Amino acid sequence: MEPESNAFLKSFFKDISLSAVEENHFLSLWKVLNFKQNDLITEAGSIERYFYVVMKGVQAIYLLDKKGEKVVLGFSYMGSPSGVFDSFIEQKPSDTFLEALKPSALLAISRTDYLSLFNRFPQFHKWAHHFFRDILFGRLFREVELLTMTAEERYIAFMKRCPKELSVIPQKYLASYLNMKPETFSRLRRSTAY
Amino acid sequence: MPKLIINPEHQIQRVNHLINKTESLQQLALERLITAKKPKSWNVLEVLEHLSIAFKLYEEKIEAALQKAPESQISPWKFKARRWQGFMIASQRPKGKKRPFKIKTLKRFEPLLQKNQMDKDGVEMVFQRFFDSYQRLKEQIIASRKKAMRHSTIVSAVGPIVRFYLPEAFEFLICHAERHMVQIEEILGHQK
Repeated sequence: MEPESNAFLKSFFKDISLSAVEENHFLSLWKVLNFKQNDLITEAGSIERYFYVVMKGVQAIYLLDKKGEKVVLGFSYMGSPSGVFDSFIEQKPSDTFLEALKPSALLAISRTDYLSLFNRFPQFHKWAHHFFRDILFGRLFREVELLTMTAEERYIAFMKRCPKELSVIPQKYLASYLNMKPETFSRLRRSTAY
Repeated sequence: MPKLIINPEHQIQRVNHLINKTESLQQLALERLITAKKPKSWNVLEVLEHLSIAFKLYEEKIEAALQKAPESQISPWKFKARRWQGFMIASQRPKGKKRPFKIKTLKRFEPLLQKNQMDKDGVEMVFQRFFDSYQRLKEQIIASRKKAMRHSTIVSAVGPIVRFYLPEAFEFLICHAERHMVQIEEILGHQK
């Protein structure tokens, strides 16, 4: 693995402290996968093979409604985790797609190797506790936003916390994520200050 | 009839579903796979073989059309099926658990399996042909996502009376396979 990849992993798992031998083993479990723009990283109906940490690019996770239209559930970008986690853990066909919206480089670990981390290094249980807590809080916050805020309030709240990586992706994905029509998103973008 | 809007992701999801469904059929006993509802109707293996034959009639035409199609600079296509083609597609699509517009299968689509002589290897080959075919179809749909779609048409397996753009051909094949998956459920349901 390249030094850049190693640095990413060390940063992502910054609270994990390993000996030199353990660290070498840990780093050897990961590989870099590259995707072009619009590549499907994971297809709905297939089983997720990897847990990812994003080195480069932006990815969208979405499912299709009854009409086959995309409903965006979230994004991943540099420094964040990615993948279809329920499919990865349960080894059941995914309900969602994971698509590279921009050329992407992802650090990937297989399920067997991911699970081996918990057996070999008990510290990963603590990491997992914090990781899933943050994800749960994030999803709860988003649920509150979707259920209680107006479209304009959702737009403002999102733009205030929106990482700069998401400014380059097509508006229709952001609109879908905020549960509004692309036209509404476009109007709010023109008329709303935040 | 409202215009049918199709996109490649929806098609990929459905092809994966067809493959997953067929994988689950591999667990069934040979007796169930070779037992038909009536003496002259198809059993499960014959339905699968018919689906492989149907795809083979399109495979090379689709490949040629993909080769000719220019790269698309915009995001993956979204396509409105034309009226006549939309009608042909709708005639294949199952309505829930029902198969509308029942039609007699043309001779060249008939699965000519020796139904009383199927052994384990023969069964495996039928499944493998199906998986190879529909995996290939999925690869072709994936390849089409980065291509411009209103470029060339292909002649359907029933002749020049129906010409499809690639998204229409994909949709027709998927609806056709979904229709026959309903038939498989009917065959298996009849055995209980």
